[in-house]
Amino acid sequence: MANNSTADFQPQITLLYCRQSLAAEAKPVQGNRSGDGFSARLVLLPCSSKVQLPHLMRLLEQGSDGLQIAACPEKACQHLVGSNRAEKRIARGRELLEQVGMGAERLGLDRGAGLSLDDLMEMAGQRAEAVRALGPNPMKGV
Amino acid sequence: MITAEWKPIEEMVGYLRGHKKVLVIGCATCVAECAAGGEREVETLAPLLAMAMQNDGNPIEVKSATLERQCEPEFLEAIAEAAAEADAIVSVACGIGMQLVAERYADTSLYPGVNTTSLSIREEPGLWTSRCAACGDCVLGFTFGLCPVARCAKSLQNGPCGGTRTNGMCEINEDTPCIWRLIVERATARGRLEDLTKVRPPKNWSNSPAGGPKRMLREDLRS
Repeated sequence: MANNSTADFQPQITLLYCRQSLAAEAKPVQGNRSGDGFSARLVLLPCSSKVQLPHLMRLLEQGSDGLQIAACPEKACQHLVGSNRAEKRIARGRELLEQVGMGAERLGLDRGAGLSLDDLMEMAGQRAEAVRALGPNPMKGV
Repeated sequence: MITAEWKPIEEMVGYLRGHKKVLVIGCATCVAECAAGGEREVETLAPLLAMAMQNDGNPIEVKSATLERQCEPEFLEAIAEAAAEADAIVSVACGIGMQLVAERYADTSLYPGVNTTSLSIREEPGLWTSRCAACGDCVLGFTFGLCPVARCAKSLQNGPCGGTRTNGMCEINEDTPCIWRLIVERATARGRLEDLTKVRPPKNWSNSPAGGPKRMLREDLRS
């Protein structure tokens, strides 16, 4: 695997989150946010099951350092099995990323309910930490 | 449907070393149904190959397309421009489609992205099981609609063998039901068990793939 790690590496994380996982009073947010040592692009989904492998792989091909999915708790999915489907796809995606030398940790899913913007940014930050060891995405700038 | 499975990406990387412009093509028919070579799989594989080759130190430009069918010449014209620009094509269609592409675009290197594996049905989501072996002499009329060629590990024409497990599964694979048990059960349910004792003419294996390349000719359809 390519190791382009640099001391000042600020991972760019794309965070795709389920609308239903937000706290009722939370306003859905999209767009770029800065975190502590990383940046995050927040993308709102109607359900985490809307994530498909082609979309995820294209995001990585286009240079995102890491992808984080925020899904509802298993028993709380409004579409019953949506978050489970997402979880299986993410597992498959992680296997494929390992095979191509990108590292499985560039992709992950965590569950949560009643999330705030701070919670989402914390998830993105955890993905950034996992990605930091892998270094910048070798596709960046290609 | 014809089923296929992705080759290991490492094997595809080996094929593509030395190439610069790669076209990944899928087929929206059988291999789409078995989640190996439809649009979704093509659009997953294309960026994966770009990433794999980048990490391999041999960066490539990857384009992608999914044809309605790769096994019909008319549909191949849709990629004429893209194929002319590419110096390699990765096809995730079945071996039939791949060969037609190789024939139409003979100046461009073609590599398989899948292994073609069987003629199967989707038994349940994520599970495909063989139903036909294209043996060329169908016996379903004798076996109550259950194929002992494709679905018996020994392709027995009279069964069950002595290896059926006590739970009715095959001795070779515990996840596969003994097809002769199912044939006997279906015959019994129809009150026709004795039909299985009738002497049948020998099966004509010369019409199977083992008999060499097939050539089917219909004079009434030729121009």
